[in-house]
Amino acid sequence: MTWLSSRWKIAVMVVPALLLFSVFIAYPVVYSLVFSFTRFNGFESPAFNGGANYATLFADKFFWRSLGNTAIIFVVTLVVLIPLAFGLALLMQRRIPAAGALRSLVFAPAIIAPILSGLIWIFILDPHVGLLNRILGQLGLPEPEWIGGNTLTPFSVSWVYVWSQLGFAMTIFYAGLQLLPAEVLEASEIDGANGIKRVWYVVVPMIRETFIIITVLMITGVFKVFEIVLVLTGGGPVHASETLVSYTYFITFSSQRYGLGMAGAVIVTVLGMIVGLAYLIVARRRQVA
Amino acid sequence: MTHPARVMRVGALTTAFAVLVALAGCSSNGSGPSSGSIPTLDPKTKVTLTFDIQTADPKTNSPQVYAAVKEFEKENPNITVKLTGEPTDTHTQKMQLAGQTDTLPDMFWILDSDARQLNKAGKLVNVKPILDAANLTSRYPATTVKGFTDDGKTYGQPSSQLVTGIWFNKKILADNGLKVPVTFDDLLNVVKVLHAKGITTISNGSNQASFACWSFLRDLSNFGWDQKVKGLLAGTTKYNNPDFKKLYEHIDELRKAGAFADNVATTTYDQIVSRFTSGQAAMVDGGLWMAAPIQASSIAPDAGFWIGPEFSDGVGDQKVSMSVPAAPWAYSAKSAKDPNKYAAIAKWVEFWAGQAAAQTQVDGALPPSTTWDVKIPESQSVFKTGLAAAFAPGTHAPANQPDLMVPTAVGTAMYDSIYGVIEGQFTPNEAMDHVQQALDQAQ
Amino acid sequence: MTAAITRARSTRARGRSQAYAIPSSIGGYVVTLLIAIPLLWIAFLSLKRSADILADPLSLSGLSLNNYIKVLGSLPLAQMYFNTIVIALVAVVVGAAVSYMLAFALTRMVFGRRRVRSAMTYYVLAGISIPVFILLFPVYRIDIALGIFGTYLALILPYTALTIPFTTLVFMGYLNDFPAELEEAAVIDGAGLWTVCVRVVLPLMRPVIATVFVLNTVFIFNEYAFASVLINDPNLYTISLAVSSLKGEYAIDYGGMMAAATLVLLPQLILYTIFQRQVIGGLTVGAVKG
Repeated sequence: MTWLSSRWKIAVMVVPALLLFSVFIAYPVVYSLVFSFTRFNGFESPAFNGGANYATLFADKFFWRSLGNTAIIFVVTLVVLIPLAFGLALLMQRRIPAAGALRSLVFAPAIIAPILSGLIWIFILDPHVGLLNRILGQLGLPEPEWIGGNTLTPFSVSWVYVWSQLGFAMTIFYAGLQLLPAEVLEASEIDGANGIKRVWYVVVPMIRETFIIITVLMITGVFKVFEIVLVLTGGGPVHASETLVSYTYFITFSSQRYGLGMAGAVIVTVLGMIVGLAYLIVARRRQVA
Repeated sequence: MTHPARVMRVGALTTAFAVLVALAGCSSNGSGPSSGSIPTLDPKTKVTLTFDIQTADPKTNSPQVYAAVKEFEKENPNITVKLTGEPTDTHTQKMQLAGQTDTLPDMFWILDSDARQLNKAGKLVNVKPILDAANLTSRYPATTVKGFTDDGKTYGQPSSQLVTGIWFNKKILADNGLKVPVTFDDLLNVVKVLHAKGITTISNGSNQASFACWSFLRDLSNFGWDQKVKGLLAGTTKYNNPDFKKLYEHIDELRKAGAFADNVATTTYDQIVSRFTSGQAAMVDGGLWMAAPIQASSIAPDAGFWIGPEFSDGVGDQKVSMSVPAAPWAYSAKSAKDPNKYAAIAKWVEFWAGQAAAQTQVDGALPPSTTWDVKIPESQSVFKTGLAAAFAPGTHAPANQPDLMVPTAVGTAMYDSIYGVIEGQFTPNEAMDHVQQALDQAQ
Repeated sequence: MTAAITRARSTRARGRSQAYAIPSSIGGYVVTLLIAIPLLWIAFLSLKRSADILADPLSLSGLSLNNYIKVLGSLPLAQMYFNTIVIALVAVVVGAAVSYMLAFALTRMVFGRRRVRSAMTYYVLAGISIPVFILLFPVYRIDIALGIFGTYLALILPYTALTIPFTTLVFMGYLNDFPAELEEAAVIDGAGLWTVCVRVVLPLMRPVIATVFVLNTVFIFNEYAFASVLINDPNLYTISLAVSSLKGEYAIDYGGMMAAATLVLLPQLILYTIFQRQVIGGLTVGAVKG
């Protein structure tokens, strides 16, 4: 491909996307970064205050709580979501009647706006009026405080996130599997314990890039979880169940402390970037080696 | 961000008008042409005004504002008002963005604290000359006008009247042999009796409704808030003081006695109301705006309204009825540079302060901010009950609701502090320290 | 090349003629049902009165289509759909096109310096981790500065930009996953850049493109933060505002929300079903991998 790669040709291919990206994404991030070093309430002129915003955040116990909650969602996503999505994609490969309709239904939660996802699940998870506890109560089982308490909320939020992203991840896995030659697909048909080994050693390496893409997407998505928490508990009780983004949103728009909020947003972005890019680099390096 | 010159120019403009009004004298019916201060609108000139408010689909969700706008258009056939809106937090964002970039709508709802900022930057019309010219200033309580005046300009009119209090279900009380409470000790007794029977006394919730602690915000006025607020903002008075401590400890007492439901943290505003209207709670922490849904429910005949408890260890007059102006309508000074638009806006300001507008509010069970004689429809029995209790002789209203007198960050810290105690997340001391921290950071 | 495809076709046909595996069929149905139950729950709730949803969610009484009638009457759904489709179509197509070009350059073309290519890659991919609300204020100001505030473009341009990181990532992944033999053969045959990009590689990317189209369209359909603030004229409202329209100042019309949600959801589901049947099923791309 060398002789197709004149500098001019590369520029033509690369400039449109980079231009749009730089104007509407990179520049705003820099803009927000600048504001994160100011004290700004939305109206008066921003006043430069150095790293005071960052110091305030690091001393804020609610900020650390939100980081912890986000970490819980992160772990659950890695451990549950990705294997489950892959398994489902394998399942959907086989000749099941109405597979197309099934795939649509599994994908459906991904179509729903996150706000609606939260809205649906609050009617299932609310300890008092939710479907789940009503059923458990009828069966005489204990009714835990799925949301609104001090411990279980992040796990419930993780579960809603998994539910909403499952179809999305599965779709990408499925498309990736479709690109494989038929012999490999036959090998993927699980047929007892042997089949699982075959899947692990044959199929997975061939769709390595797909795994990488999905993992990166899910990781960065975890750091952005926001509407789900907002609807389930509003971040409560008193910020006990906030995620990084929801707490930052609270600081920025509810408390109108924009400088502080932008500092939080910068931290979230940087964290997401570091984790995502770190994974990308490590995964690529292993591939080359 | 704002050029000093621009601020001066707008300020000079309004001062000039005010001076002209004072010199020329106002006509008693307020039509204004004789004073020459506020431009009149030729009935043949068509003007369109944009009006952006804090509810989505205003026709459905703010029917009273919609009705008022329609009435206004009827009286002024040459003026068209484009009424739009979005959910409150989105709307607030929009107004902040618009304020910063000089793209404000002609007329809009805005949070008081944001309005003050905009006013300081000279972006809002001073409505005092308009009201004075039409002899309508006296129709607002003096505290209301004062509350919306800053930097020598009155920057808005109340979009509605915020009247908070506790609705109670007479039947539940009677069925359990309880009298309607008057003091806090009465309330505590009610809670204990009802809790023993498994009944939630006070319905409230903080899910995306952290501000829904109106009765406790009002209670701060019972513990000397009005005397303390200046010192709090200046840093000379601490939020963690003996008086407020008594209140927070009372809230804790209520929690320990079982006054609240066990899922307060996940309860949304609608659930707060529906818990009460479906008879599952004996009381609800709210205000007069709940009259309409209560009227529509089966407990309408049993509903009563209570301005709030009297505290034996409180400060000052205990008969506090929280009736204060809600967030203001404000008007863009940039739009008013066009004399036709300015004249049209002036007409709206007069209309909104007038009797016709007050009647449209009452027709929808909303209390007006002005002091006109209005006819309350017979069907609004719950509203009547509420009004009677809120404005009973002997009660007095404070200057404003406490959270509206401080910067937004402090206000949200106050909500967190109250719900923190209600939900058992904060001890009274921790709760007050949380607010003090916000006060310190707001310096 | 054709021979290889034909060979692969018959191999697939053989694989396909295997009998159904009953356990996996049942497994598939069960999992799908579990995932779909909450959706059926919305549809069910959309038939109840708002008050009933909160007070007595499980009861079967009082079911009606009133919520739908109300929503259809109070919201200009057709107009909102139209606006959203126009915006989404332009943003998704343009976004996919420029992302494809970028991805192709980053994976296939040879850069003078490797560092430049890596830098560009990480620059763009870093965009995935950015929460949208951090962009709100600056983009608002940019739209005003560009004079496009309050028009279709006010949303089209930012949305196009927002699709770039994800789309580039996915395209790069697929391009990396299959080797460049086909393209190299075409180049040897004398094809120019345009031919290689459009005639040779693009057709092989169909499943990926379909996936990206659908996912980005869904993202735009549900995007709320920008849509609520960058548009003032109610005639230009997008469909994502439909559900929030049912939020009153304090009260929420849950019944209406569920009905609006179902009305918003159904066309998207149908879109996805059509797309994935047409494009993903029965492809022969597998021939390319040896």
